[in-house]
Amino acid sequence: MQTSQQSAQKSFMNTLAGLFFKFFAFNFNTRPSLNKYLKCDDGWINFTFGIKTENGSVEQAMAFENGKVRVLNNIPEKPDAQLIFADEDAVKDAATLPPNRLMLALMENRIVTRGNLGYLQLINFYLSLLLKHIHIAKLKKETKTEKRKYDSAKAAKNSIEGRSLRQLKAAAVDPGVKFLPDPYLAEYSLNDFPRVKDFLDIHLKTRAAICHERPELLTRYYRENGFETDKNGKALVPELRQAQAFKYLMENKIPLIRKNDLIAGTNTTKEIGVIIYPDAHGTMIWPELITAPYRPLNPYDVDPETMDVLHNKVFPFWIGRNFREWVRDHKGYPTCQKLDERFAACFLWKTVALSHTILNYPEILKLGTNGIIAKIDKELSETPKSEQQKLDTLRAMKISLEGINAYAKNLSGEAERLVRQETEPVRKNELLHLAGICGRVPQNPCTTFDEAVNAMWIMWIGVHMENTNAGFSLGRLDQWLQPYFTADMEKLKNERDKQQYIKHAIELIGCFYMRCTDHLPLIPDIGNYLFGGSSSDQAITLGGVTPEGEDAVNDMTYIFLKVTEMLSIRDPNVNARYNRSKNSTAYLKRLCEVNLNTTATPSIHNDEAVMASLAEFNYPAEHLRDWSATGCVEPTLSGRHIGHTNCMMFNMVAAFEMALNNGRHPLMRWDLGPKTGDIKAGDFKDYESFFNAFATQLRFLADQTCEYNNFLGEAHQAIRPTPFISALIEGSLKSGKDVTKGGALYNSSGTACIGLADITDSLMVIKKLVFEEKKIAFGQLLDAVNTNFKNDPALLALIKNKITLFGSGNEEALATANRVTKLAHDIFIEHTNYRGGKYTAGFWSMSNHVAFGTLTGALPSGRLAGKAFTPGLTPEPHASKSILDNIRDVAKLKPENMNNNIAFNVKVVPSAEESHQKTVDNIYSYVKTYSDLGGMQIQLNVVSSKTLRDAMEHPENYQNLLVRISGYNAYFVTLNRDMQIELIERAEFGI
Amino acid sequence: MAKNEMKTPLILEIKGNSLDDGPGIRSVVFYKGCPLSCVWCHNPESKKSSVEIAFDGKVCVNCGACRDVCPEKALSPDNKYYIDRSRCNLCFLCVDACPSGALDKVGKKMSVENIMKKILPDKPFFDTSGGGVTLSGGEPTLYMEFTSQILRALKQHNIHTLLETCGLFDMKRFMDMLYPYLDIIYFDIKIIDSMAHEKYCGVSNEKILDNFMQLSKKAANDGKILLPRTPLIPDMTDSESNIRGIAAFLKSLNITEAALLAYNPLWHEKSDKVGVDDPYKNVKIMTSFRDNTVLERCKAIFADTGINS
Repeated sequence: MQTSQQSAQKSFMNTLAGLFFKFFAFNFNTRPSLNKYLKCDDGWINFTFGIKTENGSVEQAMAFENGKVRVLNNIPEKPDAQLIFADEDAVKDAATLPPNRLMLALMENRIVTRGNLGYLQLINFYLSLLLKHIHIAKLKKETKTEKRKYDSAKAAKNSIEGRSLRQLKAAAVDPGVKFLPDPYLAEYSLNDFPRVKDFLDIHLKTRAAICHERPELLTRYYRENGFETDKNGKALVPELRQAQAFKYLMENKIPLIRKNDLIAGTNTTKEIGVIIYPDAHGTMIWPELITAPYRPLNPYDVDPETMDVLHNKVFPFWIGRNFREWVRDHKGYPTCQKLDERFAACFLWKTVALSHTILNYPEILKLGTNGIIAKIDKELSETPKSEQQKLDTLRAMKISLEGINAYAKNLSGEAERLVRQETEPVRKNELLHLAGICGRVPQNPCTTFDEAVNAMWIMWIGVHMENTNAGFSLGRLDQWLQPYFTADMEKLKNERDKQQYIKHAIELIGCFYMRCTDHLPLIPDIGNYLFGGSSSDQAITLGGVTPEGEDAVNDMTYIFLKVTEMLSIRDPNVNARYNRSKNSTAYLKRLCEVNLNTTATPSIHNDEAVMASLAEFNYPAEHLRDWSATGCVEPTLSGRHIGHTNCMMFNMVAAFEMALNNGRHPLMRWDLGPKTGDIKAGDFKDYESFFNAFATQLRFLADQTCEYNNFLGEAHQAIRPTPFISALIEGSLKSGKDVTKGGALYNSSGTACIGLADITDSLMVIKKLVFEEKKIAFGQLLDAVNTNFKNDPALLALIKNKITLFGSGNEEALATANRVTKLAHDIFIEHTNYRGGKYTAGFWSMSNHVAFGTLTGALPSGRLAGKAFTPGLTPEPHASKSILDNIRDVAKLKPENMNNNIAFNVKVVPSAEESHQKTVDNIYSYVKTYSDLGGMQIQLNVVSSKTLRDAMEHPENYQNLLVRISGYNAYFVTLNRDMQIELIERAEFGI
Repeated sequence: MAKNEMKTPLILEIKGNSLDDGPGIRSVVFYKGCPLSCVWCHNPESKKSSVEIAFDGKVCVNCGACRDVCPEKALSPDNKYYIDRSRCNLCFLCVDACPSGALDKVGKKMSVENIMKKILPDKPFFDTSGGGVTLSGGEPTLYMEFTSQILRALKQHNIHTLLETCGLFDMKRFMDMLYPYLDIIYFDIKIIDSMAHEKYCGVSNEKILDNFMQLSKKAANDGKILLPRTPLIPDMTDSESNIRGIAAFLKSLNITEAALLAYNPLWHEKSDKVGVDDPYKNVKIMTSFRDNTVLERCKAIFADTGINS
C-alpha cells in the first residue's frame, strides 16, 4: 500500500526532510569529530532508521553502515527504528524544537515510535551532536524565561536558616518508649547536629551527576565473560551470570566514605549520583548526554569521561539487551507493548525496574550474611543433584552475598586508610570505629546500634547495585533497630551518658537519611513530565502493631519522627501506621505535628483499614501485621513478599474515553478496543448499558497491560534475575527459585488505577443529565466534550453546579465511586502474574494524574482537555466547600476494593492567628475522625496556594519547600509547570 | 397563624467545618431574619425573615435561560442589580432554569428533622475535636419554639451547643425554652450608648443590656459560658468612649472574659446580590482591613478594666 501510490503524493516537507537527512549524512561522513561517534569499542554501529508521516506525504530513511551514513530513497522493509509523525507540522516541530519539547511531542502522540528504542535514542544523540549549539541555546533560554536558574548554594542556605519550628512536648509516654523522657524530643533542633546540617546543605545545593561506575563495571564483566553464552558458546544460567557480575561489581566498586560521615559507603562515585541501568531504561539518557546539564528541570552534570564511557563502552552493548527489547524480540512486538510506548493509557514500571519490595532486614541484622550463607549451604547440601535449577539458584545467592562481604571489607580498608591520613583526633576515632564496624558487618550478626545502621546501609547499596533504584523500600526501621538501640542504652548507667546516646542516635539516623539522598533514579527529560521531582521513593514505615498485635510505637519511632521533622527532605518517604485500637493519641498528634512542620510528611495510614483491604489473601495474621509501605503507599508484607506494587500506572480514564468513542482512543488516533457502542447511533438506551461499555474497555486495557507486565516479567527472568535480593526474601531458599521466578513466600503485582474522581463525576453527569433528567441528549454531550465545551458554556455551568460529585457527601456519587473501585479490583484480581500471584488495585497516582491528564480530552464531568486529573482518589476541588464532606466520602470507600492502597490528598492552610497547639489539634481531629470512619490513608499538604504561587515566581526562596504529589514527596521547585499548577488548583481548606 | 402552628424560620445555610464559631469543629445553622438592622450587617441576606432572590453576576454565564422563563419580565442586564424586584413575584422559575447558580433562592424552609439529617454526618468530627453546633443568623431567638426543638434534638444526640445572639429577646421564654439546652452563649454588646445603638442598629439597647445583666448572673450560678462580643466597626463601635463604656458595664457585672472582633470588610458584595444599596460601598474605611492597632488599643482598654479579650 505504501510505495508507488503514496510516493506520488510526497510533499514539499518531504523535500526539506530529505535535504536535512543529506545534511546530516554529509556532516557525519566528512567531519571526523562527528564520524568517530558512529563507532564504539565493539566497532561500527550499523543500523537503519526512517521517518514518515501517517499519510505517507513524508518518507525518508538513512542507513548507518561501517562508518558511513547513506540517505535512502525509501524506508527499507525492516528498519531497526522509525518515527511516525502525525502530520507535517509534527515533522517541522521535530526539526526546530529543543530535545525536551520533542519528548513532549512523543508523549502527546504527535510522533510515534516503531522498533528498537535504543537506535532512536542513538539517533537523537547524533542529532544533539550535530545541533548542540542550537539545542543548548534553546534550553538555556527556556531555563531563564521559566525562572529555573538561581544560586542554589544561597537558596539552600536561606531555606535551612529560614525554617523556624514550633514544637509541642509529649502529653503522655507510650508503653513501648523506654528511654525518651519527652518522646517528642522537643529540646533538639537541627542546630544541635552541625554534621547533619552540613549534609542537608550539600543535599539542597548540589546538582546531581550521572555516574558511570556501575554500568561500566558490569558491561566490562559481560564483555569478558559473555551474557547469553560464555566464551565457548555455552548458554549461561542467568542467575549465576548475574551473581558473578554482581560480585565483580561489588569487589571493584570504589569504596568511599563521605567526609565526616558516620556511615560508610556510597551508591555512586558522585556526591549525588544518578545510577545508570542500561539493562533497563538506561539508554534513555543517551540523547541527553550533551544537553542534560542545560535542561530546565532537574539538570544533571555529565563529565566528558562519563559521556565517553557510556557511548563507547556501555550503551551499544545493551541496545538489544534490555527488558523492552527482549519483549519486542521474543514476543513479536505485541500490541500491549505498542500501547505502553504511546504513553496515554499506561506506564509499565517493569520497563525500568522490578523493585518495590522490602528485604528481610531483621534477619540480616540478626544472622549476618554469614548466617544466611550457612542456611544456603544447608539447603544446598539437602538438595539432590537432579535439581540443577535449584542448585544454581542457591549458588548464585551465595556468590552475591560474597560480593557484599567483599565491598564491606573494602570499606573497612578505606576507613583504615583514612585513619592514617586523619589528624583531627575525634574524626580519627570515628574512622577507626567505622573500620571496625565494616570489618564485622554485615558479615556477622550486629551487636550495636551503629553496626545495625551501617549494615542496613551497606545492604541498601547492594540492593541498588543489583536492581534499579526505583521504589525499593526500607520497611519498619523503628521496629528493627529498636533492639540494638535498647541493648546499647541498657549498658549505660548514668543519665548524662543516656542523654548523650539519645543525641547520638538522632544524629546517626540523620546521617542515614542524608545517605539515602546520595543517589537518584535516572529521569530522562520525558520523565520530568511523567514523574516530575520524584526521587527513588525509599519508603520507611513507622508505628502500627508488632507481628504479635501489640502497640509497636517505641523510642526509635519518635527518633525517626524527630529526624523527619528536622530535615524535611523528600527521601526517605516516611509512612506512619496508626492503629486505632493500639496506638496512642500522643503518637497520632505527633504525626500531625510533624506533618504540619514539614508541610508534607509523613503519610498516615489507618493500620486496621489497610490490613482489612488485604483480607482476601488470607495472609497469616503475624505476617499481615508486619506490613510496610512500599514506594509511595502500597502495602508489602515485610521480608517475604514480592508485590511489585507499582508494576503499572493505569489510566482508567483512557478506558472511559474509549467507551465514549466506541473503542477508539482519540489522542492515539487508534481503534484499539472492542466496539462497545456508538453514542451518536443511539446505541446506549440507558445508563447501565454505558457503564457496561466502560467496564468492557477497562477490562480490555487491563488485559493488555497485564499481558505486557507478564512479558516484561519474563524479560526480567532472562535479563536480570536478582540472586542478591532473592537470598534475603523469605521463601526463595526453600523454593530454590529466584524471586523474579516466584521464589518469594508471597507474590502479587500492584497497579495504580488513576482517575477515580474524574470517572465517577463523569458517570454521575451521564446518569443524571442524560438518562434520568433527560436534560441533554448523549450525542449533544459528546459533541460538547469533543469541542472542549467551547460552544456550551451553559451546559458546562450546569454540570459544574447542579451535579453532586464524589466528595460532596452524596450517597449516589459515593456508591458510584465504590462501584468503579470494585470494577477495577474485580478485573485485576482475575489476572495472574508470571510469578503465580494476583494483581491488586490501588488508587494513587504518583504524578501521573498530571501526565495522563495532559493526554486526555475533555470529560463529561466538565474537566477540560489537558487538565490534570485529581491526585490519587482525591475529590474534585469544587465537590464541596467543606473538607468534612471530602473526608467522609473517601473514608467510606470500601477497603476491600483497594488492596493496593490509596492516596488521599488534602491541602490545608493554618490560620496565622491560631496557636501551634490549636493547629495540631485541628489536624488531629481531621485525621482521627477519618480513621474512625474507616479511611485508609491520608496525606496533608500544609501550605497555601499563595505560597506556592510565590514559589513559582521566586524558586530561590523555596529550595526545600516539600509537597506531597500523590504518594511521594517532592520539592516544589523541581516540578514541571503543569504539576505546580495542579498543586495550586487543589482544594484548599483553612484550618 | 393557626393555633398549634409553630413559627418556623427560613434557613440560609448550614455551614460545615467551621473553626471560628466556638470550640472545635462545628456546624453553623444560619437563620434568616433579625430584629436589629445594623448598618454594617455582614450577612445582609439574613436581615429580612422572608424569602429573597439573589443574583451573583460573577458566576453568570449569560445564557439567557432565566429571561426566557420569567413571567414578569423582571430580569435584564440593564437593571441595576439584574433583577427588577418591583416586578419579581418570587416564583423562582428563573432559579430552576439557571445552570450556573448565579440566581439563587435565599432562605429555605427546613424541618428540624432535615436540619438534623444535615448535621449528624459531621458528628464524628464534633466528637474528636470537642466541637458541636452553633446557631447563628439572623437571630435564632426570633423562633424560640423551633430553636428549642433543634436544641433538644441536638442534646438527644449529645451534641455540644452554642448560640450566637443579638440579645434582643423575651427573657422568660429564653430561659424556659433555650437556656437549659445551651452550653455556650455568645452575646453581642455592640454599642453601649442607647441613642447610638438606635442609630446604627435600628433599636435601642435597654432590653439587650437588661437581658445580659440577668443572664450573666444566671450563667455564673450555673457554670455556663456567657461570652459578650463586640464587633469593632470603624467609627461606629470602635471609639474609645464606646469601648470604655462596654468595659465598665461588663466590669460592673464581674465579667472577666469578652471577645473583641476585628473588622472584616468582606461583606459589601453580598448587598448587591440581594439588591440592597450599600451606603458604605465607596467608604474606604469600611471596605478595607484595618491594621492591628485598633484591635490592640481596644484590648488594652478591656485589659485595664480587668477583662481578658
